[in-house]
Amino acid sequence: MRPLDWVVLVVTLVSIVAYGLYKGRGSKTVNQYLLAGKTMPWYAMGLSIMATQASAITFISTTGQAYADGMRFVQFYFGLPVAMVILAATAVPIFHRAGVYTAYEYLEKRFDAKTRALASVIFLIQRGLGVGLALYAPALVMSVIFGWPDQLTTLLIGVLVILYTVTGGIPAVTWTDVVQMGIIFFGLVLSLVLVLRMLPHSVSVLDAVYLAGAVGKLNAVDTHFDWNNRYNLWSGLLGGSFLALSYFGCDQSQVQRYLTGKSIAQSKLSLLFNAMAKVPMQFFILFVGAMVFVFYLFQAPPVLFQPNAMREISGQAEFSGVQRKFDSAFEQRRAAARAIGHAGDPASRRLHVGEFKAAQQQLNGARQQAIALFEKAEGKKGFNDNNYVFLTFVTTYLPAGVVGLIIAVIFAAAMSASSGEVNSLATVTVIDIYKRHVRKQASDRHYLMASRLATAFWGLYAVAFAQYGKNLGSLVEAVNLVGSFFYGSLLGVFTLAFGFRSVGGTAAFWGMAVGEAAILLVARFTAISYLWYNVIGAVVVIVTGLLLSRPFPNLRNQDALDQQGGNVHG
Amino acid sequence: MPDEPPPFLGSWRKVYALVLAYLAAVITVFWIFTRYFA
Repeated sequence: MRPLDWVVLVVTLVSIVAYGLYKGRGSKTVNQYLLAGKTMPWYAMGLSIMATQASAITFISTTGQAYADGMRFVQFYFGLPVAMVILAATAVPIFHRAGVYTAYEYLEKRFDAKTRALASVIFLIQRGLGVGLALYAPALVMSVIFGWPDQLTTLLIGVLVILYTVTGGIPAVTWTDVVQMGIIFFGLVLSLVLVLRMLPHSVSVLDAVYLAGAVGKLNAVDTHFDWNNRYNLWSGLLGGSFLALSYFGCDQSQVQRYLTGKSIAQSKLSLLFNAMAKVPMQFFILFVGAMVFVFYLFQAPPVLFQPNAMREISGQAEFSGVQRKFDSAFEQRRAAARAIGHAGDPASRRLHVGEFKAAQQQLNGARQQAIALFEKAEGKKGFNDNNYVFLTFVTTYLPAGVVGLIIAVIFAAAMSASSGEVNSLATVTVIDIYKRHVRKQASDRHYLMASRLATAFWGLYAVAFAQYGKNLGSLVEAVNLVGSFFYGSLLGVFTLAFGFRSVGGTAAFWGMAVGEAAILLVARFTAISYLWYNVIGAVVVIVTGLLLSRPFPNLRNQDALDQQGGNVHG
Repeated sequence: MPDEPPPFLGSWRKVYALVLAYLAAVITVFWIFTRYFA
């Protein structure tokens, strides 16, 4: 980080926060604070939806994944547009007409208080446990690359987020998301332009794409079906659409974005905008990673991208042999890559591609030996340096000012992901818990104050959680995994609510409980990939709910709810 | 809230069909890209 980088980083962060404070200055009622008074246009909601989903780690690790393993990760987003269309046709009009602040509030209107309470508690546990992660993950990477203390980084980003979310509520969150998304797009395009310009003059863009493809980095579509691999066309379409349905349809951190729309049509358009923009954006990020790979065909990469791991093993006696093997493989690979570029006829091109692939295998072999040395020294398995590839490239080769911009992009992504989570956790705390069960009759001013306090609480909680992230490493991963267990049953209960009017509250509540138990049993006793937990959970909830609707019929007057739009076929 | 028509194409079904056709086109382009380069 040079002086110009610091200027770019500080100016960007200060501008984001100042803009958030400016846009949030009019939040004087609960409706304005939590729903922006239903005034948002489609593009603000659409960009906010994208910014909330894109966290810093999406950005850091997606490029690294493409470097290491190619572009096949894009396939997991193929189901997202399908889910957006389904939600635009169902959830958007239903939630809007029911006039709710949270998705779970609707469950009480449609079912009963216990179903709403269970769903909102599930959300608070799942999101609440993971809320510090969006701050902690980038801080950890920064601490390794720059030596910045991670506790200071999480405190800084966290305080900035708390500043504008507490004062401005959702108008501040949404409009800062828009700016953050703009910075992210700009940083992405600039990184791609710069990496392509830094390739040797003899290598054209088409050559670069060809070289990346020759070693399987451009495997964007795999049409072979495999249950246990989520990165193929069919798993992506089916598993990906179920995951997107539960994330965008049942998770308040996303639902709240499109509840702020000034009309049903604007909210629908915001989801459809996400449907159109998301897949190309992921493709673009992965393509940047693949081009960083091509860059390192001509500039020697470190054996391992994780600087601490390199320091650890470079002192070992066996490492010098590994480094020599790596260097000679790199030289062979570079020679082959150049020869491919100069090859005149297809036959000699094929010959050089063969040499290129062989050298790549040699290089991978040397890297595996280095990883084995590190894992032996550390005494634990599972080394992965994907998160360090892109930032190592950025900090080593990109010009002054650009490094500061890329770091600002990563901070912006961390802020937009955590601001949406903090804001939605506060909303559910006040609307579904406090106002429903603690103080039922108070003034609007009282609930506005409660919303600000709840936002401050969740923001501080996120910072505190991130402060201890270092000691909670594997716990955090476990929490995230268990959190994904809950998604299926939430999706099931909302499907019952939208589509099956014979199902009442008691049947839905027990359907949810049985669905949750089924997921835990599947996780404990079978080898089914966790991608499918969501689908299994949802199906069990729906089947159980329908079976129980005989002994526990729906006693609510559905016609009244239909007039509010509480059912799809009203 | 009234369910108003979309700002273009006249009906939401047509808009949804357009989004899904777009998805199919994107996947097809990626597939050709993969076949050609990978």
